Amino acid sequence: MKRGRAVGIDLGTSNSVVAIIDADGAPRILTTEEGSTTLPSLIWFAPDGPVIGEAAREGLDQAPDVTVFGAKRLLGRRFDHPEVRRLSRTLPYELVESPNGDVWISLAPGKTVSPEEVCALILYELKRTAERFLGEPVTSAVITIPAWYDAAQRQATKDAAQIAGLDVMRLLSEPTAAALGHGAHRGADRKYLVCDLGGGTFDVAAVDLEGGVFEVLATTGDPFLGGDDVDRAVVEHLVRDIRQVKALDVSTDPIAIERLRIAAQRAKHELSGVSTTPIHVAELVQLPSGKTAEYKRSMRRDELELWSAPLVRRLEAPIRDALARSGRKREDVHEVLLVGGMTRMPAVRREIARVSGREPSIVPNPEEVVAVGAALEVARLEGAIEGVLLIDVAARGISLSTNEGDCELVIAQSSVVPTREHRLFPTRQDNQARIEFDIWEGESVEAAKNRHLGKYAVVDLPDGPSGDVLALVEITLDTDGTIRLGASELVSGDRLQIEQLVHTGLTRADVARFARQFAEAS
Amino acid sequence: MRCTTWEQVEVFHTRKLRAGRLLSMKVPFDAEIGAQVTLGLELPNNVVMAIDGVVQKASPIEGDSKTWIEVELAGFTEDVIARIRGMAEGSGPAVEPEPAPPPAPSVRTSMPRVSEEDLPNDERHLFQQLTTELRRMRGAAVHEVLGVESDAGPEAVRRGWMSLVRRHHPDLVARHRAPAISHLAEELTILANRAYDRQRASLVADGRATAIRSALKPPPGWLVGFDDIASNGQRAATATSDVSVKLVEPPKLPVDPNSLQGGEAFESRARAMLSEGDSAHAQEVLAAALCVYPRSRTLRSLYYVAASITALQGGEVMLATSQLETALAHFDSCREASLILDHIRRNGSQRLDDLRRHFR
Repeated sequence: MKRGRAVGIDLGTSNSVVAIIDADGAPRILTTEEGSTTLPSLIWFAPDGPVIGEAAREGLDQAPDVTVFGAKRLLGRRFDHPEVRRLSRTLPYELVESPNGDVWISLAPGKTVSPEEVCALILYELKRTAERFLGEPVTSAVITIPAWYDAAQRQATKDAAQIAGLDVMRLLSEPTAAALGHGAHRGADRKYLVCDLGGGTFDVAAVDLEGGVFEVLATTGDPFLGGDDVDRAVVEHLVRDIRQVKALDVSTDPIAIERLRIAAQRAKHELSGVSTTPIHVAELVQLPSGKTAEYKRSMRRDELELWSAPLVRRLEAPIRDALARSGRKREDVHEVLLVGGMTRMPAVRREIARVSGREPSIVPNPEEVVAVGAALEVARLEGAIEGVLLIDVAARGISLSTNEGDCELVIAQSSVVPTREHRLFPTRQDNQARIEFDIWEGESVEAAKNRHLGKYAVVDLPDGPSGDVLALVEITLDTDGTIRLGASELVSGDRLQIEQLVHTGLTRADVARFARQFAEAS
Repeated sequence: MRCTTWEQVEVFHTRKLRAGRLLSMKVPFDAEIGAQVTLGLELPNNVVMAIDGVVQKASPIEGDSKTWIEVELAGFTEDVIARIRGMAEGSGPAVEPEPAPPPAPSVRTSMPRVSEEDLPNDERHLFQQLTTELRRMRGAAVHEVLGVESDAGPEAVRRGWMSLVRRHHPDLVARHRAPAISHLAEELTILANRAYDRQRASLVADGRATAIRSALKPPPGWLVGFDDIASNGQRAATATSDVSVKLVEPPKLPVDPNSLQGGEAFESRARAMLSEGDSAHAQEVLAAALCVYPRSRTLRSLYYVAASITALQGGEVMLATSQLETALAHFDSCREASLILDHIRRNGSQRLDDLRRHFR
């Protein structure tokens, strides 16, 4: 197959962005058909085919049980994880357990879809966006992921890309991408603190640039803090105001609330630039008399800041935590980077400046800088940019066990990737044909405290007396932090086959099959 | 058993082994006297030697699942020792698990320091250069891979590793789009990273560096971020948040979604809840339903009916009455609203169980 162009993709929980580097070296964010730079990570499985992005918002109203959002959070997760259990009770769509224990999404009785396929649809839409702009096929991509993604989540992201027909050149951690997009690679050695406050979550990462090498030292965050929470705080105050001024209780009227939320969001955006803005909801609620009530008031920036103050105060703890975990004081940080749309809010900037002790750098396009970083990474891998390198470490340790016994740590947490370790398994019986072993993520001796990644068997061992045949199993964590297995017979050096018995995530065959179906369907 | 330097190998067989072949060690399994065991001896050049032995003594350790054993390493013959020494000297035949690398060169004379010159750009020469460097590094001890002295401090170790990574990292040769070259670069980087991790670990063991623990953790509860209701352990104060996040308790469709059309599925579910007196959940189901069918008058009126029952359960008769009036404003022939209004006139907020039958 002819190799097409490559793009940088920020695959976000709520919004995704695709970017390229122009021929003249300038980054360019590609816009969707509606002319927006961000694509909502939202899919409505409508009766006549999936609807992706902005148009799928209608699905949230019409068929919330088949409109999937936030699939990124489900990637590479197991169904029996307590957090997934909790989540399955609050999501409008139904989560089910796949045959190998992963979490999948049920669209109708007997019809399920894996989170990988959902993400593939989003990636495919971004790929189409890029192809429309470039006028030539796009076949590979750099995709950003949270720095703390474990091996299974990384593999799931790669699988999603493969289903969408994209070859992953590299998985890039989001804080590194942000620093890269900010142009950090052109500057001197620095210690960065990257604060990403988006629609739903707040992420902080300590990133070091030393001699052209980027390293993520620590990540923390608050998963419940974002722009949506500010909107809700504003709406609550508006509801109180309406009760006082108009003697109307709209708190139980979902339609009025939704209209107030839209007005609050618009006011919030405008108040980043001006100090007063009008709020106007023409048809707030229908009165018993049949007439509609209108709501009008002006909103000042200090009101917004007062109302969102409890939320803004929650920025402090994760920042302090990130500094502590990376083992440094706030004076050691050279630059604070603000990423995500919410960092436009002056109150947010002030608070981060207060906590970190320095004026944060203003990124002109905080929503898109991560995608720009991914596009720059493409250029770097293609050799267009030199002198910069990204180092990843294993987010969690990899352990191994045989015969349901204790787990033995093979690759320690925070080992630099790529890396490889091996273990030696002698046969325990004469002419033993196979040796089974389990791979776990985690560093505990007890299997129950680790996460099961899979059960494998070294098969077709050569004949020989007990203990004479030695299987050498090699576990490689590659540059992207995903696991690869290999085996050989120690004495002869012959390669041995490894059979996959149980495996977390999609199997290679599944991925190939989904990719084929995908290519046929589109 | 892992030896990172040739000195350690020497120490292993001259000092650690009693009488040249008796080894005492702690093992994490039950061992019986007379049992056959195999010791994997990992040498600094990544070669693993399998050495057979027989358990001579075994004593379980109290309160631990481990056992002290003494093994007679029958497989540790003069021949094997000579082979290992040969490898250390770089003159003996190599026993390599890797596909046929050449004999390890003398480590004394060829410290594989990172060469200063740039890697060649043309693919054939690059391939040859990387192959040569890989060979050399495979035969070297850990500190030699990093190009530092065996007693180097953390700073020097990091510098040595950094210069290797900056030379060999697979990303640097990705532009060639040649799988063979990428593979060589990855192998070289794996060697460098392993050497770095080992050297760091031994520095930590010697107390010369502090352990580096990865601080890459998902924020707690990252997965449960769709609603903020349980975020700080408290429910949002007003109903506002519940409604604006659209769904609190999601309505699950009945098993056969074809049996009921549109809002009827939600309605029948809510009615079932109301008939059991569970008005709070019914309210949530109806709020969700209204996001889907905002124009349904039945659903709207039923929502306010459910809200009024919740209010009555809290003893708020005034609020309940106003909710019922709103219900009637939305749908003036709402039977349930009229019935409950009658009920309030007669009983106030008493005998609420009587209301259940209206929803059956």
